Amino acid sequence: MTNLQEVPTDDLLSFQDYPTVPVHTAGGNSTISVPVTQIDVSGNLKSNPPSSTNNMPPPGNPNNPSSLPNLGSPEDEETPASKSFWTIEYYQKYFDVDTKDVVERIIASITPKWDNSLKHHLRTKPDLYGPFWISITLIFTIAISGNIASYLQHASPSYHWKYDFHLVSYAATTICLYITLIPFTLWGLLRYSTQAGDVEDLDQDNVTPGALELICIYGYSLFIYIPAAVLWSIQINLLQWLLVIIAAFVSGSVLLLTLMPALRLSKHKFFLAIGIMVCHALLAAGFMLYFFHVPNTVPVPAIQEAVKKVVEQSKTNATDAS
Amino acid sequence: MDHTRLEMYDDVGGHVEGEMNIPTNKNAQYLGQPDFNTLDEPIKDTIMRDVKAVGIKFGHVLFPKEKKTLLKEWDLWGPLMLCTFMAMVLQGSSLSDHTSEGGPEFAEVFVIVWIGSMIVTLNSKLLGGNISFFQSVCVLGYCLLPTTIALIACRIILLVKQTYLMFFIRFGVSMAGFAWATYASMIFLGDSQKPGRKLLAVYPIGLFYFIISWLVISHTTSS
Repeated sequence: MTNLQEVPTDDLLSFQDYPTVPVHTAGGNSTISVPVTQIDVSGNLKSNPPSSTNNMPPPGNPNNPSSLPNLGSPEDEETPASKSFWTIEYYQKYFDVDTKDVVERIIASITPKWDNSLKHHLRTKPDLYGPFWISITLIFTIAISGNIASYLQHASPSYHWKYDFHLVSYAATTICLYITLIPFTLWGLLRYSTQAGDVEDLDQDNVTPGALELICIYGYSLFIYIPAAVLWSIQINLLQWLLVIIAAFVSGSVLLLTLMPALRLSKHKFFLAIGIMVCHALLAAGFMLYFFHVPNTVPVPAIQEAVKKVVEQSKTNATDAS
Repeated sequence: MDHTRLEMYDDVGGHVEGEMNIPTNKNAQYLGQPDFNTLDEPIKDTIMRDVKAVGIKFGHVLFPKEKKTLLKEWDLWGPLMLCTFMAMVLQGSSLSDHTSEGGPEFAEVFVIVWIGSMIVTLNSKLLGGNISFFQSVCVLGYCLLPTTIALIACRIILLVKQTYLMFFIRFGVSMAGFAWATYASMIFLGDSQKPGRKLLAVYPIGLFYFIISWLVISHTTSS
């Protein structure tokens, strides 16, 4: 009987470690009729009967293939409800991805297809791992290659070039705003402008993507700007603009294709689609112009001299006034 | 508890916990003497013991083989020392001229190191790794040692006249520091994740050290 008392904790541990192993549960189903005696006799089968006892409450499972997803889903639904909002475990469901999933999603985000593979990936479970680390990587890639670009622009023995750490702050502000404000705005607009009549015809979760899902989609759509940011540091005007157009077009079209089912139901689908594309292209152009581009006509050192002069004047004025 | 054998990703044990080494009872060594604790011992002994512990951990980072020591008794003294040193060296010359751009402020380096290591730790916790929060912060902090050495080397290289060759030497040195730091922290922290998620946990660690190495490369003397 001591064995039986230990069962629940072991069960909990083993189930959390192997959430996606259908083979074990199938084995458990087959041995479901020999629960208690098996535990005492053989040590090998100890891991299996607890999982089968856990599945006892919905015991019917007549056919194996349909029972397999059923085994997974009640677990997944129960865990978030039981976890408190303040614990790390509550947020683990947003980071429940493997390397394979993330790579697949990234690849899907840069290959526009009509069959909506990214949407299919995200619909099952949106994650925050990809958007978060893609944003962080993009922030620092822009800062680093922005510095390289500025070095290449000013590379001359006469001009003492200094690196600018604070590009990080500007890039971080822009990207954080973009990745939070735009999805929430879009979410609100979709909610607001979707016709109520159509919603009831179709199933609910196919219609309005949640805010989390939108953030996820937008986060992955930023990925293409990482290699673009590296290449933007090459100081060829035509190449820079070409990269802006290609990057914005590719990931913008993935965005549109992914959001198309939701947009189609909206009253203002045309404006929303244009808005999404314009925002995405503006972001790319803004990055390029601010961090990497140097205007041909006005030399930058002259501007800096002028700024310095103005600042010093204002300083002297301030000291005079005081 | 046969289950523990099944957990392939978990060499360290079911759940790794930190324990602080507080030597309260030294009676075994001083049998004839009255009770002796850390309050009564000379202050030199107290400090030397901690310094020795920190030094041993630095040694483990430089030659990352055995992973238990750094994980078991975590402390944040080493990370604090390294971080403060790096922040002091790396800080931009804010006094000389306010208008021109420059390196990060002291506080910015500090924030990048501490918040960065916390975010990386939180990431591995969220991915389901079984390691305690401060253990991971401790390891990430101690593994700054290679980048700190690279910073010192770069600082020495900066003393001679700067040419392109010198820049490439600096680049190589700090990249070596970056690779070393990432490798060391991977040895210590890599086992706490499931096999399918190792890369997801290692990538942020690499990014963290890469950013710090970028600060090291970009640091030049203000002239």
